Amino acid sequence: MIFFKKILPFILILMLTIVAGCSSSGESNGSKTSNEGKVITVGWPLDIGPLNPHTYLPNQMTAQAMVYESLVEYNDDGTISPKLAKSWEISDDKTAYLFHLRQDVKYSDGTAFNADNVIRNFNAVLADRDTHSWMGMVNHIVDVVKEDDYTIRLQLDAPYYPVLNELAFVRPFRFLGDNGFPEGDTTNKGINAPVGTGPWVLTEYKKDQYAIFSRNEHYWGEKPLVDKVKVKIIPDSESISLAFENEELDIIYGRGIISLDNYTFLKDSDQYKTAVSEPLSTRALLFNTQSGALAELKVRQAIQYAVNKEQMVESITHGTEKVANKLFWDAIPYADIELKPILFNPKKAEQLLDEAGWTLKNGDKIRSKNGQPLQLDLIYIATDAIQKPMAELMQGELAKIGVQLNLEGADVMVGLQKLMDNQVDINFWRTNGPPTDPHSFANESATPNANGVYEAKLGLDNAAQIDGKIHQLLIGTDEAERVQLYKDILTMFHDQALFYPISYETNNVIYHKHMKDFNPCASEYDIPYAQMDLK
Amino acid sequence: MKTWEVMKEMYESTWLFCLKRVITLPFVLLGVSIMTFLFIRFVPVEPAEVILRMSGVAPTAEAIQALRSELGTDQPLSIQYFIWLKGVLHFDFGSSFVSKLPVAQEIVEKLPATFELALAAFVCMICFSIPLGIISALYKNSIFDRIVGLLSIISVSIPTFWLGFFLLYLFSLKLGIFPTNGKGTILHMILPAVSLALPTTGLFVQAIRTSVIEELQKKYVQYAFLRGLKKSVILSRHVFKNAAIPLTTMLGMTLGNLLGGAVIVEQVFSWPGLGRYLIESIMNRDYPVVQCYVLIIAIIYVFANLCTDILHRVLDPQLMIVRRRE
Repeated sequence: MIFFKKILPFILILMLTIVAGCSSSGESNGSKTSNEGKVITVGWPLDIGPLNPHTYLPNQMTAQAMVYESLVEYNDDGTISPKLAKSWEISDDKTAYLFHLRQDVKYSDGTAFNADNVIRNFNAVLADRDTHSWMGMVNHIVDVVKEDDYTIRLQLDAPYYPVLNELAFVRPFRFLGDNGFPEGDTTNKGINAPVGTGPWVLTEYKKDQYAIFSRNEHYWGEKPLVDKVKVKIIPDSESISLAFENEELDIIYGRGIISLDNYTFLKDSDQYKTAVSEPLSTRALLFNTQSGALAELKVRQAIQYAVNKEQMVESITHGTEKVANKLFWDAIPYADIELKPILFNPKKAEQLLDEAGWTLKNGDKIRSKNGQPLQLDLIYIATDAIQKPMAELMQGELAKIGVQLNLEGADVMVGLQKLMDNQVDINFWRTNGPPTDPHSFANESATPNANGVYEAKLGLDNAAQIDGKIHQLLIGTDEAERVQLYKDILTMFHDQALFYPISYETNNVIYHKHMKDFNPCASEYDIPYAQMDLK
Repeated sequence: MKTWEVMKEMYESTWLFCLKRVITLPFVLLGVSIMTFLFIRFVPVEPAEVILRMSGVAPTAEAIQALRSELGTDQPLSIQYFIWLKGVLHFDFGSSFVSKLPVAQEIVEKLPATFELALAAFVCMICFSIPLGIISALYKNSIFDRIVGLLSIISVSIPTFWLGFFLLYLFSLKLGIFPTNGKGTILHMILPAVSLALPTTGLFVQAIRTSVIEELQKKYVQYAFLRGLKKSVILSRHVFKNAAIPLTTMLGMTLGNLLGGAVIVEQVFSWPGLGRYLIESIMNRDYPVVQCYVLIIAIIYVFANLCTDILHRVLDPQLMIVRRRE
């Protein structure tokens, strides 16, 4: 037979050759120290994008933060410190900010960083004000003026206290070298090259595959300890875990980069080192007060009393997230206030529902009032490994007190949209995190179609009063008054049980033992690569 | 009728058949384009808002309006469609809402990687399924046949993503043979290609087995044996050739299936192809990308079908003879 004599042996030889080839030529795994110097390899789910400091998607904030720097820096304790500006002065009427720039800063291509370049960057950003209008400061900037070669003045039309916090944000107010500007300075359309002042320079890039950042030898600050950082693009979180276990990655860093199950599995193996940052944002539920039963405060409170939050957070996040009893973590500016926590107490929950007239009729499992059963809809992100089990656990807890929670898994955007359209009762919600909280939270909460809070609180009697206080605090100039206003606003939200704070999210870090220890930052985008080192 | 006249008629008939299929192609593509255009717009939350929210900012009304106007999504649907269609007729598929780069350019950049993967999977599938299918048929009901049958069912039933992770776990993590992600060497390609190929291989093995068994039972084969022809000659010159005819249609569909299946495999193995691009584009409501992708896949499907139909006719002249008699 021809097949057995000729074709089959050929196929077998071909297959054996492939397998033999495979086992003899393995790609060098991981990073370690090599001819290229010290290299750290990290996995990231999305391509780094065009590295344009003035635009958003598809640019990844973590990559932008490696190459570009801001005038000032936000610290984990909520304070602001100098960065490219060595100092600043604020006018008495709080409308003018005078920034004194560092004179020892150079871009990665060796060109100078000075007032002209800073103004060029500001003008490029402000040419597209509508796009950046989410940032309150953009709507107040009247002019950016050169005072001398290393001093600029930022002129506002009215006081706006969070200027420094917004300047510290990763985009759009970060600085591109002159050689990076396209013709006409239309950076919103694209840039010529990613030239920044930051500690890293992009030296090799294969779209959707990897990006290699090398140490910026012109860097003005403390130079990074390793020579290169290789960012491998791995879209699937399970694949990132496997690549890490296979020593193709040195470190996994960030919130939600891998599932908490995988994180715990790797941590428990005792083969790797782990670290958790200070809290950066809050995971919560947002109640739609326009919606049926949730218009009643006692129902909103009862739901919070009914769920054993400590147990839920511990069992689902494996202790990587801290239980949240307030909407903001204490280190967030103006948020360190005393509020009475709502702790697990199912008896109290039942009592509150009885008082609100939602009672259990003979033999019923669901409470009702005027013939209407107490049914609520909760939307969670279908692909989120935390939200789904939390939703299911709450469904079980609420069933015990006679509340039927209907669950719906949806696309990441759908829940918020449905809540804003008053089509759902409860949605998972999270705060923005530093450096824009709590002022961006306040601003968005008083703005329609922003983060859903404006729409969710429309059923509150004091919704207008809350909005009034928010407007007042953003333009006020008196610090003591601002502290009081924040206290009032956060207390009102807390007393009205508009949010159900669940846990404080953190950056979860896991790394191989060949890396030295370092401190993770409480930031979504600032990964402290410069502090990382190999043993 | 003389032989050359029959040949000529067959040749003309094949051309007529192709011509008819090519004429219907624009209508098929028009239908596909309208459906894609509408279906992607049924997905809740419009692109301007999604893009702004995915950027980590809470969009203001001004920002949404500015972006809608820039993307053109503030126009009526019919106008949007005709603008897009006009562009397509000039080979301009628009620009991505997210990257702002021409969609055609991005797709052309990523298409080779997906084709490479699909082709490797196709080769894998052929290499595995032909010998297994034929041996199973020749040794019908043997232990080998039963094991292959069981493995075929398993390979068809296993979800691709599960299979991908299983192979990663076994061959990368435990045996350390292959890298877990990326593209570059043949080592990077083997696991994704096998993951993509296995489900179709199971189907193909069984199809080949059935087809060969059917041929073996036909009278002309029994007659050939009675004539004293060698078994190897009967199998290679007659049985395999005839058994291959019904498989050609399946082969055409397979290429389309492999391209579709690549969406998941590319995600699992971090393969930088079109599938990953499509997933990101759907998440970002990047309409031009999704529309262009679906159109390209539709064209590939239609052409693959056309090619297999032609191949089918060439391999099986009876199809044309029957039509001539009619």
